[in-house]
Amino acid sequence: MCPLVRSIAFAAFVIATLLGPSTPVAGQASKNRPVIAGCPSVSAKFHPCALEKAKAFSPPRMPDGTPNLQGIWDAPLAMGFQNIEDFPGDPSPGGFGPAVTVIVDPPDGRVPYQPWARAQRDENIKKYIDPYAQCLPTGVPRQMANFRTRQITQSGNLISIVNEAGGHIFRVVHMDGRSHLSPTFKLWMGDSLGHWEGNTLVIETTNLNGRWWYDSMGHFASDALKVTERLTLVDADTLHYQATMEDPKVYTRPWTIVFPLERIKEKGYEQMEEACHEGDHDAAGFVLGGYVPYTGPRFP
Amino acid sequence: MTRRLFTIASIALVPMVVFAQGAGSGQSGLHRTSDGKPDLSGIWQVMNTANWNIQDHNAEKGVPAGQGVVEGNELPYITAAAAKKKSNYENRATADPESKCYLPGVPRVTYMPFPFQIVQTREQITILYEYAHAVRNIFMGTPHIDGQLFWWMGDSRGRWEGDTLVVDVTDFNDETWFDRAGNFHSDALHVIERYTLADPDHINYEATIEDPKVFTRPWKMTMVLNRHKEKNFRLLEYECFSF
Repeated sequence: MCPLVRSIAFAAFVIATLLGPSTPVAGQASKNRPVIAGCPSVSAKFHPCALEKAKAFSPPRMPDGTPNLQGIWDAPLAMGFQNIEDFPGDPSPGGFGPAVTVIVDPPDGRVPYQPWARAQRDENIKKYIDPYAQCLPTGVPRQMANFRTRQITQSGNLISIVNEAGGHIFRVVHMDGRSHLSPTFKLWMGDSLGHWEGNTLVIETTNLNGRWWYDSMGHFASDALKVTERLTLVDADTLHYQATMEDPKVYTRPWTIVFPLERIKEKGYEQMEEACHEGDHDAAGFVLGGYVPYTGPRFP
Repeated sequence: MTRRLFTIASIALVPMVVFAQGAGSGQSGLHRTSDGKPDLSGIWQVMNTANWNIQDHNAEKGVPAGQGVVEGNELPYITAAAAKKKSNYENRATADPESKCYLPGVPRVTYMPFPFQIVQTREQITILYEYAHAVRNIFMGTPHIDGQLFWWMGDSRGRWEGDTLVVDVTDFNDETWFDRAGNFHSDALHVIERYTLADPDHINYEATIEDPKVFTRPWKMTMVLNRHKEKNFRLLEYECFSF
């Protein structure tokens, strides 16, 4: 598809998603794609199956011998994280369709909130604007689930992850063994340090500011969050993506999500400019609807 | 073991030697990538006041004085555009797109008072800017996108001329300024950037500006990009509209 057409198609998709009638996404997608890389596409089943397949796969390598994860990746099942938990679908106009949880641990597929925090999640969707809808950065792990693509580049002592949508967001993952920033620093995208464990890229992210949501349904963290991501090639065109969240201020225990990333194989595919804030008219609609900007957790 | 090390070293050196012989302007001693091109990877920042005013200017409250970055200092505005520049200047506190936290365009993003990081591969050179998470993907050796786009940061296509990275940037909108002093352009803007490593820690940067709707002739900015050498230096964030 030519870039302009792609852009228009995306715009139409965004408009349909934001304004249109209930659009089936996320969980529906897994019904449409029951199998990915030879594994069931539902996260709970994809997780063990894909890791088992990865053991038998010898990934392509960079000149320095590390696995080559470079490329442009789509997150076909995460669908921008409409909801990280099971979700029956929102019947109201513009409401999102049913979704299957991407949480593989705990086994019930729910975020292990402390009681006050579960109540706050419920309040979030009633009162506050999803920061993403105001063009604020996704944070981590939503960056990896976000609509459209993310490009992974390995160069020297760093790995960059650059997104196409969500207001030109990126992360630089430092692979040179440095230490995290002082806790004074609170960043939308955090401070990411990486290392290899066998063929798996492990990224530890701290210094997050706790002002974003994981999804459109108000799921949240605090600035104490630590995210540990694991990226493993299952085959030449599929990544097993896993992220474990630890935040003792908000959750009762660590919890883990899993979903596949698929390589964009369209020849000559290039990421386009998305100038979100510069052309943003969505937030005004939320404000008119009585919603207010989200400023982070309100601890009891 | 020694022999194996020697073999690896030889393989690694071959492209460098071939390149050094092949390029007339090739400068020895520069760090090069495996394909023999100057390695521009790293974190860079200007040390100038061009974001306030690209031309010579005196200090004002909150504005450091600075020698301009425009060759010859004068900008060749057509008559109508000179009047617009004057009115931009008078209304600069609110009319400057930077005051609305919009993407700053090219070349302005280069001389914002924030660091930026160059990530270099053979096919693509990506520049990550601390200011507003701005990103530029410079695609190497491919043509501009068909048709006219109106992008804040333009469409960037790169090529190597000897040891200089030349980036041709088109497809801009008319909504960005060159500085806080109201210097501006139209959507006919065409920028040609040249990045040349002067030594391992300095890039000589030039931007040639063509815009027949606003200027009577092309003109050029020149400045130096300085490498950040502080230990563990990294990009932070300036999420402009979040404050």
